[in-house]
Amino acid sequence: MIEERFKSVLIWIGYVFKAVFCLTPFLYMIVISLSSSPDFLTKLGEIEFSFKNYYSVLTSKSLHFVDYLRNSIIVSGVSAFFCIIIAGLAAYSITRLDLPGKMLILFLVLAVSMFPQISLVGYLFKFMSSLGWINTYFALIFPYIAWILPLSLWILVSYFAQIPKELDKAALIDGCTRWQILLKVIFPVAAPGIFSVSLLSFIFAFNEFMFALMLTIDYRSRTIPVGIALFQGLHGEIPWGNIMAASTIAIIPVVLLTIIFQRYIIQGLTRGSIKG
Amino acid sequence: MSYRTFSEAKQSYTFILPLIIFILAFILLPVVGTFINSFFRDISFLQRKFIMFGNYKQLFNDPGFYGAIRFTILFIVVSVTIEIILGLIFALILNETIPFRGFLRACVLLPWAIPSAISARLWELIYNYNYGLANFICIKSGISTGPINWLGSSVGAFFGLVIADVWKTTPFVTIILLAGLSAIPTELYLQAKVDGTNFLQRFYKITMPLLKPVLVVALLFRTIDALRIFDLIYVLTHGGPGGATTSLSLYAYKYYLAGDFGYGSAVSVILFVISFTLSIIYIKLARFGESGI
Repeated sequence: MIEERFKSVLIWIGYVFKAVFCLTPFLYMIVISLSSSPDFLTKLGEIEFSFKNYYSVLTSKSLHFVDYLRNSIIVSGVSAFFCIIIAGLAAYSITRLDLPGKMLILFLVLAVSMFPQISLVGYLFKFMSSLGWINTYFALIFPYIAWILPLSLWILVSYFAQIPKELDKAALIDGCTRWQILLKVIFPVAAPGIFSVSLLSFIFAFNEFMFALMLTIDYRSRTIPVGIALFQGLHGEIPWGNIMAASTIAIIPVVLLTIIFQRYIIQGLTRGSIKG
Repeated sequence: MSYRTFSEAKQSYTFILPLIIFILAFILLPVVGTFINSFFRDISFLQRKFIMFGNYKQLFNDPGFYGAIRFTILFIVVSVTIEIILGLIFALILNETIPFRGFLRACVLLPWAIPSAISARLWELIYNYNYGLANFICIKSGISTGPINWLGSSVGAFFGLVIADVWKTTPFVTIILLAGLSAIPTELYLQAKVDGTNFLQRFYKITMPLLKPVLVVALLFRTIDALRIFDLIYVLTHGGPGGATTSLSLYAYKYYLAGDFGYGSAVSVILFVISFTLSIIYIKLARFGESGI
């Protein structure tokens, strides 16, 4: 009895610590974004509440926040979309079509996912320069698709492997092509898998930093993480209020997706990293 | 029948082809390119010249390179250890039946889900010398008598990075360990309870041995990830003060930025080789003998 009570006290302490540990920085971010100056802690906690940071971030032409946000959403959305199609085709081929050397391909892809980005980015810079793609969406979308493919493939393979092969056979007898089977049978049945891969791909592309830092130059293609990282004030002083307002707006989509679809994200992550 | 299998094989190649093309063109080719480039003197506005192991020879006499290696190893050891311990505690809590478990899970995921560049900016403000949250907490709670110079001193910058990294990546460790924990059959615990063991004994005799494989996987995965750390350091300390927190990735990047692609490639190759070796070990441990696909 005492032991049980001791254990539950421990669990509650851990619970509270964990919630505080994870959420405090976010609360701080929001408070700073809503106060007129970032030093409210030194003023005995007096906050001058204002929306001026949000207003200036969303309307100021010179900060280019809206441009960065647009670039990020386009680049991540397009990358995630093509990633699903390409990984879906490949996962179908691996789980259904008796592809020769499929284990080799799976392991190769897994090894690729652990490459340090720095070992690609120098060459990618030269490659994209020679194509004249630096500072365009293409310079990001192509490497992003390749970069997200390994995780997507592993997750989809683990979902597809669970679908009974009889479904394919029945559809083949009904005269469907493989392509039709993938779109009309497998994708709907594996919808939760497709969904978690889409979410994870989008989040990964949205958060990517090094490629975007190296392969873009200005607001025409620069994404949110790089935009916010390089955000500087005009007069030397770092505009913390603006940065925190921009950060808050930028993470809203990701945070909402994470809260609403946490189950799918957790499923996807566990399947992608330990055997499903 | 043979016609059918032939077309089947052909189709299996067509379906996997786009994946192969993307991985080849945008990952494997760049890696090979970096390897080749590391044997050249390749500096902007200078004639490109093959110099064999010239870059590597220079590398092994470069104190900056050794500094980057030392920092990267120290960073991995400290941050990954804390992440594994904290992640295990978090996972044990989440594995219990507690109210609002969904809420807590979402809390845990949030730091992981946002871009590291943004969380780095947030921590930069938290560590602000004059009005940041870190110094406010440290002074109010009596941990420190005066403000701590977080990003301006090498020790402060190191631990500043570790704390920010722990905040960001513990969630991932938690999720993986939680999956491992939920795979342990509850009957084992019930039986052990009947046998009159306390929860510490159950933790050491049941949880730890059964969780060990998953722990090793999480450990290796985090090590490989921490090895290539870049975003957080680039934004939070830019490798400073005085190069004290320059990771291998950042060291290579600084040469790329300066237009010295040959030397930057050589640094990248070293990082690649270390990381690739660890990846092979990881793959053998985590996936070996996996079948059913």
